[in-house]
Amino acid sequence: MNYSEEEKAIVFLDTQTELEHREKAAVLRSAGDPARILRGEGDFLSALKGDRRSLFPSDRKRKVAETEKLLSELDKKGYFALTMLSDDYPESLKATGEEPFVLYGAGNRELLKKRKFCIVGSRVTPQWTQSVTKKIAEEVSERFVIVTGLAEGGDSAAIAGAIQSGNLISVLPCGLDECYPAAHHAMKDRIRERGLLLTEYPLKEKARTYSFHARNRILAGLSEGVLVVSAGARSGTSITAGKALDYGRDVFALPYNVGAAQGEGCNELLKKGAALVTDAEDILSFYGFQKKKKVAAALSEPEEKVLSVLREAGELHAALIAERAGLKVYEAAAALASLEIKNLAVKSGGNRYSAI
Amino acid sequence: MIAKIICYALNGLDGVPVEVETDVNRGMPAYEMVGLPDTVVKESKERVRSAIKNSGLLFPMNKITINFAPADLKKEGASFDLAIAISLLKASEQLVGANVSDTVFLGELALNGDLRAVNGLLPILISAKGHGFRKFIVPAANAREASFLGGAEIYPAVSLSEVIKHLVGVKTILPLETTEFVAGAKGIGSADLKFVKGQPMARRALEIAVAGGHNLLMVGPPGTGKTMIARCLPTVMPDLSFEEALEITKIHSVAGILGEEGIVTVRPFRTPHHTATTVSMCGGGNRVVHPGEISLAHGGVLFLDELPEYKRSTLEALRQPLEDGKITVSRAGGTYTYPSRFMLCASMNPCPCGNYGSANLTCSCSPSEIRRYRKKISGPLLDRIDLQVEVDNISYDELISSEKEEGSASVKERVDAARSVQRERFEDCGIVMNAEMGEREIGMFCGLSDEGNDILREAFEKMNLSARARARIVKVARTIADLGGSANILPEHVYEAVSYRIFDKMD
Repeated sequence: MNYSEEEKAIVFLDTQTELEHREKAAVLRSAGDPARILRGEGDFLSALKGDRRSLFPSDRKRKVAETEKLLSELDKKGYFALTMLSDDYPESLKATGEEPFVLYGAGNRELLKKRKFCIVGSRVTPQWTQSVTKKIAEEVSERFVIVTGLAEGGDSAAIAGAIQSGNLISVLPCGLDECYPAAHHAMKDRIRERGLLLTEYPLKEKARTYSFHARNRILAGLSEGVLVVSAGARSGTSITAGKALDYGRDVFALPYNVGAAQGEGCNELLKKGAALVTDAEDILSFYGFQKKKKVAAALSEPEEKVLSVLREAGELHAALIAERAGLKVYEAAAALASLEIKNLAVKSGGNRYSAI
Repeated sequence: MIAKIICYALNGLDGVPVEVETDVNRGMPAYEMVGLPDTVVKESKERVRSAIKNSGLLFPMNKITINFAPADLKKEGASFDLAIAISLLKASEQLVGANVSDTVFLGELALNGDLRAVNGLLPILISAKGHGFRKFIVPAANAREASFLGGAEIYPAVSLSEVIKHLVGVKTILPLETTEFVAGAKGIGSADLKFVKGQPMARRALEIAVAGGHNLLMVGPPGTGKTMIARCLPTVMPDLSFEEALEITKIHSVAGILGEEGIVTVRPFRTPHHTATTVSMCGGGNRVVHPGEISLAHGGVLFLDELPEYKRSTLEALRQPLEDGKITVSRAGGTYTYPSRFMLCASMNPCPCGNYGSANLTCSCSPSEIRRYRKKISGPLLDRIDLQVEVDNISYDELISSEKEEGSASVKERVDAARSVQRERFEDCGIVMNAEMGEREIGMFCGLSDEGNDILREAFEKMNLSARARARIVKVARTIADLGGSANILPEHVYEAVSYRIFDKMD
């Protein structure tokens, strides 16, 4: 891939890990044309305080060689670097004022041009929420590119829903060569194949505590709206929602039972005025998309009975479902398995089920 | 004079005839034993010497040579004592007129001449009868066990002097009367499904598991009755046939754990602790190879409580016996094959803290901790467990109907019916249960309708089922259909079978 001189300069500046982001920005402003940084023209170092200037490498040849080496390594691995000067650098991210100079990516670059919607959830997400999330992600991904992370729970559910359509961007808290959590390696490869992986961290950079927070600003920055499917009282997911509010994005949340630990953050958001979401319709109609006609799945008699019991009761134990539906337990078990396959019910552990 | 007496040694579960030859010569008093006797056999010198003396007989003060033939087989254990004593007495001409050539002598001697019980008597008797022997003299303490062998004259003796009196015709011992085998004669104690409160899902899974010979995994928080349910398994399994009982008794007899009853009448229920070693589980030992827990559970249930706590290598060692129904253990002393056709029942917590999926308690485990915990059970082992069911801690006050819980007896009736359907179906296949079906049998007997195939395909896509789960689901569906008296596998059978693959969905 060809990078312009300006882009190379930005990549070079971004990889100076000794300097802080604010200092890099100052250097860039003072240089005017970024290419001058690489050429060593002008007095752009005056933007730095005296003792900080020594951190900036002065050897021009080395600067160029290092940058070229990094870019050719990206090429070799099939990755690309997206600088703030690139044509397809997302405008919405630039508007945040906290945009990274460079985003490293792997996968379908075209997705950056489409409309994006963010779905996030904490790692501890109840089973029924995961099913609901998957369903919502699946339907929303027909209109939007789903932006999310790579963690267990809410993120994984969103990925599971959107991966089929390929409308999926996963933003990592680590370099593209790394994977966090390590167990999601296969999932990461799959996203690269069908969707897009993005990160602001260089290849080998490991995930750190702070990089999750920093990553969350990109999630919010990329997207028009953010749906929070689960969030504890003090979770990283709340940070994403907070950033979304700062950037003026639409915030959506799933409602939870009062006192449910995994949903305290969601209910808090709803209290503050986030839009309440129970299905993908709520999001799509918010953005003016027409409601799609649903084809009702054909249900057998016991399935109908079980479903109506479930709809009435919320979460219920299988034995109680059977009792209320007037079925034998094993008949109810068969009906529940069938409803689960048809995406109408979900098992939440301990033989308890709920309708979705 | 030379005397030859027949005794038996154990080789795994088979008896091997051993001739005890004694020669008493004039010369310096000496007592030699040849023919690979082990320490226990060599020590018999002192027991035999005292027993003979204390029975009022004479221990010959001559040069005595005792040979065990065949010479290349290792002779182990104390069951040769009686044969050595008789052979000595015969050689020293103290048993004039007694015919001892066609009698098998078995028993350990006490110093006062009493006969003590020996391990592995029944397998020896069965082998000896097969070799054409009809007369046996056995310790009275083993009489119960021996009495189940029909078609032979078995004389239970209390002491050496009683044996001598019998042989010389002074006072004959009455031969044992054959005891009729009655399955479940002893009863199974307190375990019965009627004492299990609620847990309808687990009950149903248990019924299916026993009906089709499937293995069962119960997942649930501590204190929800997993162990109690498992203990009910033998109570719903079909009664032991005499042949099965004999085979199980042979193993238990060799292991020396046979109870007073003398024969195993109820299916064994073995619960090795999770600290069990691979050797104690599979069998082994220094010289003698003892049957392991899986062989002791032959014909019954091997219950592994807290499955992830067992050593990985120990669990992996179960895979081959689970498949083959027998285990071959090789040691320096020889290679032994023990049967091990058992039903595996395992239980585990859903996560390290035990609260995952609980209605009112919060799980404090991180996703990676839970993943690590579950990874302790390998895919291939899980693959051999057809039924996985959650046992939960719902309070059953919530259930309105206060129906009395169904007891083991009526569940057993349904299981027996389903088993007989299977026996008929597999008459020409050399198997008896659905769980034993291979690809060929699945193709023959488990045809799915188009609808059934659609359900399976959908289930695979929606639930991320592993490919290997398919055959398992079909087999279980077959069993469910058998229980329901249906000749064909219907959609609801497939659905229910799918619901027992919770582990495939857990990731």
